[in-house]
Amino acid sequence: MQETLQTLVGGLSLGAVYALVALGFSLVYRTMGLVNFAHADIAMIGAYAASTFYLTAKLPFALAMVLSILITGAIGLVIERVLRPLENKDFDLMLIGTIGFGIVLQAVAILIWGTTGRAVPSPVRTAPLDILGVRVRTYDLLVMAVTALAVVGLGFFLARTKRGAAMQAVAMDHEAATAVGIDVGRSNALAFAIGAGLAALAGGLVGPMLYVDASLGGALGIKGFAAAMLGGFGSINGAVVGGILIGVLDSYTAGHFQGYSVLATFLVFTVAIMIRPMGIFGERTVSRA
Amino acid sequence: MKSRITAVLALVVAAGALPYGLGSYTIHVVDIALIYALLAIGMGLAMGISGQINLAQVAFFGVGAYCVAILTTNNGYGFWAAAVLAVLATVVTGLLVGIPALRMQSHYLGIVTLGLALGFINWITNADISGGADGISGVPVPTLPGVDLSSEYLYYYLEAVVFGLGLVFGLFVVHTSLGRRLRAMRDDALAAGATGAEIPLLRMTAFVLASLYGGLAGILYAGLIRYVAPETFSLGNMFILLAMVIIGGRRSLVGCVVGAIGLTLVREWLSDFSTYAQLGYGAVVVLMVVFAPTGLAGVPARLRDLYRRRFGRTSDDRAELRPFTPYTPGPEPSQDGPLLQVAEVSKDFRGLRALDEVSLTVDAGEIRGIVGPNGSGKTTLFNVVSGFYRASAGTVRFAGADTTRARPYALSLAGVARTFQNLRLFGQLTVRENILVALDRTRTYTIWQYALWQPGVIRRERRLRGAAQSVLERYGLVDFAEAAPASLPYGIQRRIEIARAMATRPRLLLLDEPAAGLNGEEVQQLVRIVRSIRDSGTTVVLIEHNMGLVMSLCEKITVLSSGKVIAEGTPAEVVAAPEVIEAYLGDSDLSELGMSAPPSAERPSPAKEATS
Repeated sequence: MQETLQTLVGGLSLGAVYALVALGFSLVYRTMGLVNFAHADIAMIGAYAASTFYLTAKLPFALAMVLSILITGAIGLVIERVLRPLENKDFDLMLIGTIGFGIVLQAVAILIWGTTGRAVPSPVRTAPLDILGVRVRTYDLLVMAVTALAVVGLGFFLARTKRGAAMQAVAMDHEAATAVGIDVGRSNALAFAIGAGLAALAGGLVGPMLYVDASLGGALGIKGFAAAMLGGFGSINGAVVGGILIGVLDSYTAGHFQGYSVLATFLVFTVAIMIRPMGIFGERTVSRA
Repeated sequence: MKSRITAVLALVVAAGALPYGLGSYTIHVVDIALIYALLAIGMGLAMGISGQINLAQVAFFGVGAYCVAILTTNNGYGFWAAAVLAVLATVVTGLLVGIPALRMQSHYLGIVTLGLALGFINWITNADISGGADGISGVPVPTLPGVDLSSEYLYYYLEAVVFGLGLVFGLFVVHTSLGRRLRAMRDDALAAGATGAEIPLLRMTAFVLASLYGGLAGILYAGLIRYVAPETFSLGNMFILLAMVIIGGRRSLVGCVVGAIGLTLVREWLSDFSTYAQLGYGAVVVLMVVFAPTGLAGVPARLRDLYRRRFGRTSDDRAELRPFTPYTPGPEPSQDGPLLQVAEVSKDFRGLRALDEVSLTVDAGEIRGIVGPNGSGKTTLFNVVSGFYRASAGTVRFAGADTTRARPYALSLAGVARTFQNLRLFGQLTVRENILVALDRTRTYTIWQYALWQPGVIRRERRLRGAAQSVLERYGLVDFAEAAPASLPYGIQRRIEIARAMATRPRLLLLDEPAAGLNGEEVQQLVRIVRSIRDSGTTVVLIEHNMGLVMSLCEKITVLSSGKVIAEGTPAEVVAAPEVIEAYLGDSDLSELGMSAPPSAERPSPAKEATS
């Protein structure tokens, strides 16, 4: 029991990070129908940038995060602008284009930060809390709180602001949105920038939990994608639930299969997604002949 | 043709002479390049030809290499015995990785295959049997009587032979029946199913082909380097492989090969600046997808297009749609009982009931019209009959057999053909190939011939091509045989759809709004074509809004409204039925607005309006 709870808590904090990755990923997907394979590498750049501002420039952790979010947001704008000619046209080509950007971003990271990674100390230095015999790191609580805030904030933005509503309209029908005077290009760019910012948030937060290096994106990203799929592509709630599920699954397989945890995680994920391809909150699309 | 043979011969001779001019390091690089070229062919077959986003190719490569390494060093097998087992193991892996493709496509499939590749890397880095992060060294030199394969020069010839055979086989697949079906599936899986392609089997075939090439590349790699370690099979290398295929041109196997060899050489040349090289090819991939989505392989065609546009076209000017040659009337259909029997079929989409206990009987030799306002369930009915949707309740019987749960391909083979309301031609195939896909009535299991009896494939191919030519001639399409469907006028595309459906030699032809977007002259031609099709012995059911066409063509009309059959009978009976008038003109709404009573049946106003 104790052990199960401990696994669960460990899974929740990583799951919160996966949820953030999935959130940005889903936002971009629902708005422009684009699966952004560079998303993970944007998160990696975010992690590096945050760690540089925090460790090298000695800025406060929160400020470092904000700066890294701004930087990645700008990167997101560039990617969106370059791939704009393909939007709403060739799905697979866009997907490959974002993989190309991912390769570029990894090379850039190596050029700037080198191949050796860095360990980021936790910005919260209080001792772990003891709740019902389960050790909970205070930093983990911080991560969960930030994720919760991000989810609520994004939900508010989409539901209550004019730009958010415009983004929803573009997601439903980009042609109709154009017809009522929404600048689809600008709306997509904004979605992409917010998505990239969320990736940086995830990357910055995961810094003190994992080791930051150029391959961070690979591990973080594919699990974030898996989370988005499991929850249901394009669904905001799904991203959160999927993230937590993958996090818990991850921490469970790490406890039981040690070295083979990644293999076990993805086998379980593959079976789950085959049983329900549209994910938990996803809608089955009817193919119309 | 002759110049092409000369070019191929020159290439073979050059490939044979190549080692004589190269230093020992360069030949090593060339050996590596050939291995990547094999991998890229597999990737191209899955991604470019079959449209299956397969990001696990590097894992297939790894399974092949590790199998050889483990079996030779751990279990004491000889190299070739290990190689045979390695091919089998890789193909089995390919089948397993391909299973998700049955349930999902596109990006979903990409993420799942990428995840499985990551799982494989995780396993080889941690398992004892694979030597962990250190890998396995001491793989024996493959033995060949009289040839010392430890020399990289001689190994080159072994690789060149395997690669040459691999490329020829790949091209053979692409340009014959199997490859055509794979490409049709890539362009439009639904339409491919409706022309008789077994989509699930074809998807698995794509993964088997990809894994076969991956496994061969892995075996050659193990024999060449004689050492395997996880970093060779990393995701980084997966993306480089992807870059090769995209830069070369994913839809052309030769393009994939050029991309693979080119990028391997560039990578080696820039090995001191590997990070900059990575930056460079990442950027090239991005530029390629935006500016040259067909890759290097597509550049010649684009240049030719540009040239033709600049200096005026001369060849296409005389292309014209020739008149349709009627079929020779077939014997009177002697069918016991009706050909198509739809009994109390309902179809629900979540809360919405699109079809509500629809019953309909079509006799052999009929031309049946199905009309009704938009959203009345006409196309849904077609989708149920042709196997795209499964009815929520009720049964469909075709030619006496219960086909309620039959898949589209099975119905196509049984003799049901259809066209689509919004044109579903295979966009990247030529008109001739569109017809060839439909003419091919063989089941997918006949692909055993590709492995064991290739002359059988060639003979079938020749027969199909002859038949395709006569279909093209009958429908007056010979001038457009090599054109891409999307480049043709709308009316011609509509005719191609009918020709494609008829190429399956159906007993029942379902036409979904065949006159939509046609001009008056084209509608007249359509009437002649449909009559001739019926006279040849094929029963026709058509959905149409053009009432004039329906009135003059159909002996019997079924009217649907809100998913229900509201009238059935001869054209005259149907237009007089009060339910029909109400459905079309909304009788109650009109009276609420204080307008006069609905127009009488003698004035077929909706019909007039639609014909003009």
